[in-house]
Amino acid sequence: MVSRPSGREAYLAMSAYITRDIKENEEIIIDFEGVKVLTPSWADEVITKLAQNHTVKFEHAENPTVKATLKTLSEYSGLKL
Amino acid sequence: MDNNLKDTAYNWVKGEMPAEIGEQYYCGTRDVFQARLDTMVNFLLGDPQIAENDVYVLSAVAGEIGNNSFDHNLGSWPDMPGIFFGYEAESGKVIIVLADRGQGVLKTLKRVRMELKNDEEALLTAFTEKLSGRAPESRGNGLKFVKEGVKAMNARLVFMSGKASARLNEGIEISRSDEIKGCLAVIKN
Repeated sequence: MVSRPSGREAYLAMSAYITRDIKENEEIIIDFEGVKVLTPSWADEVITKLAQNHTVKFEHAENPTVKATLKTLSEYSGLKL
Repeated sequence: MDNNLKDTAYNWVKGEMPAEIGEQYYCGTRDVFQARLDTMVNFLLGDPQIAENDVYVLSAVAGEIGNNSFDHNLGSWPDMPGIFFGYEAESGKVIIVLADRGQGVLKTLKRVRMELKNDEEALLTAFTEKLSGRAPESRGNGLKFVKEGVKAMNARLVFMSGKASARLNEGIEISRSDEIKGCLAVIKN
């Protein structure tokens, strides 16, 4: 989960199959269990966009790249944690 | 572990024409880079002297830098598209080298901040301010993440672009350097 193109593809796939029936402002829980490497480029294309219309909460965010990515997005992309 | 990797990459970005590099270092497309990045993670995880979390952070830092090269040079590579990507590990010590013969940081950022005067200013801006050369897209957080990742694992990063060099560890020091084409990054844990 590293590049913007793969993040964009993930977001589009989610939009078609996972998040389309979730109502605006409904809470979304993102579970990072098993994630080894996450970067702001990938996450900015997915998490920042999901957070624009939903309350996003995180589980199993202990991986250091997950923690650092969420911190970066909160500081530079306006993601509210 | 010696400086051969760094020297090979430096020679590739130094001259008017790209020097020969081995096929094992050349990633002509992002897909090739991604596949080799995944291979690097597995390779480094196989070294018991390297902490697992450090492997993931090193991979994230290298991934941001390598993908930046493709993000900011798509369709506008001055001569040779793609990047140099090489790594070595020995006794728990890792060196990762990435380079491109792209536009460089100054030319990329000057599109959105015309008052940038030189490569040194451009590098400082890239690592410390939210500013993206791909505005109006809202980007510009990748190198800030890189800076924090390097600091968190007490690694060292030398990032060169144009006639400037940034040395990152706890903080960031910018200095003038011999001119290169594009960018060159050397990461050491």
